[in-house]
Amino acid sequence: MSTINGSYSDNTPSTTPAGLPAKQNVAPVKAVDTQSVLKRLQSELMSLMMSGDPGISAFPEEDNIFNWKGTIHGSNETVFEGTEYKLALSFPADYPFKPPKVKFETGCFHPNVDVFGNICLDILQDKWSSAYDVRTILLSIQSLLGEPNTSSPLNTQAAALWSNQEEYRKMVEKHYKPSTA
Amino acid sequence: MSSLNSSSSIMANKSLNCLEIEQHEETISDSFICCVCLDLLYKPIVLECGHVSCFWCVHNSMDAIHESHCPICRHPYHHFPTICEMMHFLLSKMYPLAYKRREKQILEEETVKNCFSPQLDCKELKSSNGSIPSHDSNMLSGQASSSCITRVDKDSSNMDSNCSASIKERDLPAIERVSSSGVLCPACEQLLYRPAVLNCGHVYCEACIVVPEDGIIICKVCDYPHPSDCPNVCLELNNFLEEQFPIKYSARRKSVEEKQARFQHKNPSSCSISKKSTKKGFITPYRGSEEFIPWWSEHGSKVHAGAGCDYCGMYPIVGDRYRCQDCVELIGFDLCGDCYNTQSKRPGRFNQQHTADHRFELVKQPDFLRNIMLRLVGGNLVDSSGAPVLAVNAIEDPPDGWIAVESVDDLENIHNNVAAADETVGDILHDDSDTQDGSIEVEFSDALEFSDNNVTSLSHHDHNNMDQDGNDDPPF
Repeated sequence: MSTINGSYSDNTPSTTPAGLPAKQNVAPVKAVDTQSVLKRLQSELMSLMMSGDPGISAFPEEDNIFNWKGTIHGSNETVFEGTEYKLALSFPADYPFKPPKVKFETGCFHPNVDVFGNICLDILQDKWSSAYDVRTILLSIQSLLGEPNTSSPLNTQAAALWSNQEEYRKMVEKHYKPSTA
Repeated sequence: MSSLNSSSSIMANKSLNCLEIEQHEETISDSFICCVCLDLLYKPIVLECGHVSCFWCVHNSMDAIHESHCPICRHPYHHFPTICEMMHFLLSKMYPLAYKRREKQILEEETVKNCFSPQLDCKELKSSNGSIPSHDSNMLSGQASSSCITRVDKDSSNMDSNCSASIKERDLPAIERVSSSGVLCPACEQLLYRPAVLNCGHVYCEACIVVPEDGIIICKVCDYPHPSDCPNVCLELNNFLEEQFPIKYSARRKSVEEKQARFQHKNPSSCSISKKSTKKGFITPYRGSEEFIPWWSEHGSKVHAGAGCDYCGMYPIVGDRYRCQDCVELIGFDLCGDCYNTQSKRPGRFNQQHTADHRFELVKQPDFLRNIMLRLVGGNLVDSSGAPVLAVNAIEDPPDGWIAVESVDDLENIHNNVAAADETVGDILHDDSDTQDGSIEVEFSDALEFSDNNVTSLSHHDHNNMDQDGNDDPPF
């Protein structure tokens, strides 16, 4: 057995280097079966709405179920208490075998979040598992807020300040711009 | 699942429509919902850690260039297991409607991919006997199909007689279709107690799996050597049996516990008592940590990316790889060195119509592939603290060289196409020298020496490089 192109195709074909040849003997199958991805996203949506986890929510954009908007609330007794963050999740065509791309849309002053909202979280990279879902992602990001990894920060200023929680709280408030939408 | 009053939005309505079909179906127990596709398990595969997933869900979750990890517990494994036929037939009897729907759905997906999972529909094989339709005949051969047929015979004959008894045990519609004759251990021929599934898909009581002196468990049904440690108990199946046959199951528990107490000192090789991890002839998965580098540094140069052995299931193949020249299926037919040399006769892991007279060719592991993989290791690794190395998103316009290695999947496009890919390698290397940061190139050649330290430090450097490259990032 050997891998077939279609089942592992990258979700962002535009980033594939030009000129990479398709595998020999194999028809250039690029038809990813979106049906099963759709089904999985729909069941996730159902269970997410039924579960009613406090502090997290997510819903697909109107026209595209592959793009979701998520919301997480900063956990109580952390410096993020009382804040609310919007996130954008975009699912690849081979989800859940590849992780979704997750970004903060609300500015977040956090050691593992950069100015563009990119998140540095292992489960969204190489530690991804196909058993994770939107719920586990949002819960992980929620707990990342309170427990940052300051040893390899994307935002070095935030990492340096983390030890001083009082000052940090002030910075969180300063950078916090709740979306009006 | 059926009531959803909270939202009136379009999307929710759509989901409702989609799930409407399922309302006529049986209610599926949570234990038989696949954690990957979130639907009824179809052609279930039990991993050695005891977790269950569908055939395609397992295969698609596997890592093409590295050992894989269980989606649920991250237990490392390297051999793609065979479908657990017992569970397959169990589920098709318990949830006939839902299972039929899944069958149809998966077949549609497979038709699109032009790549099919093994056929297990024994009833059809039996009824049509000699005149098997061509699309079914490609699946099973020899002993596999015959053992399958016997089981169905046994099941159907016992089903009628046991039917009334099982209805009494539990009053659920799904239950009446299942009799305990379908869930016997092939070793002790009694109801399975604490079932564990070998890589070949055969189910035994945990206590019935005997680890021999050499540490390689051989399946009694198919003589297939199990490639790793004694598998864990499949808890979903175990709980099901306990619920389904409470009286028989507790009787089995009693007898097994008594037996264990009696033979504990006499039978030290029984699996539950001693576990041997040393295996001859197999690559022991790296168990200390799930980091990429240690496994890679041990096997990296011998990995055939995206190619799996159709006999033992090793995926990706490490070491020699033999590819069948006569199999026409898209998925191809490959063997690892060991399986090629032992000439074992088992059907392929998919639906290949491989026969003994097919010719094989030895596939060389091209050097350039290794180089690309080294780049991938450098590009995709995460440093020890879990930070992503390749924060490509952070750069508005990243140098081409980085983009080229953004995805491991790119590798598969190159795989097997030496001539054309050579060009690509040239491109990549060329791009590399174009990047503003000259140190990247130096680090790359460092990495070629391939010691753990070099690779680790490479990944750390990458992180810094990205920061430098993207230094238009204003800090907060």
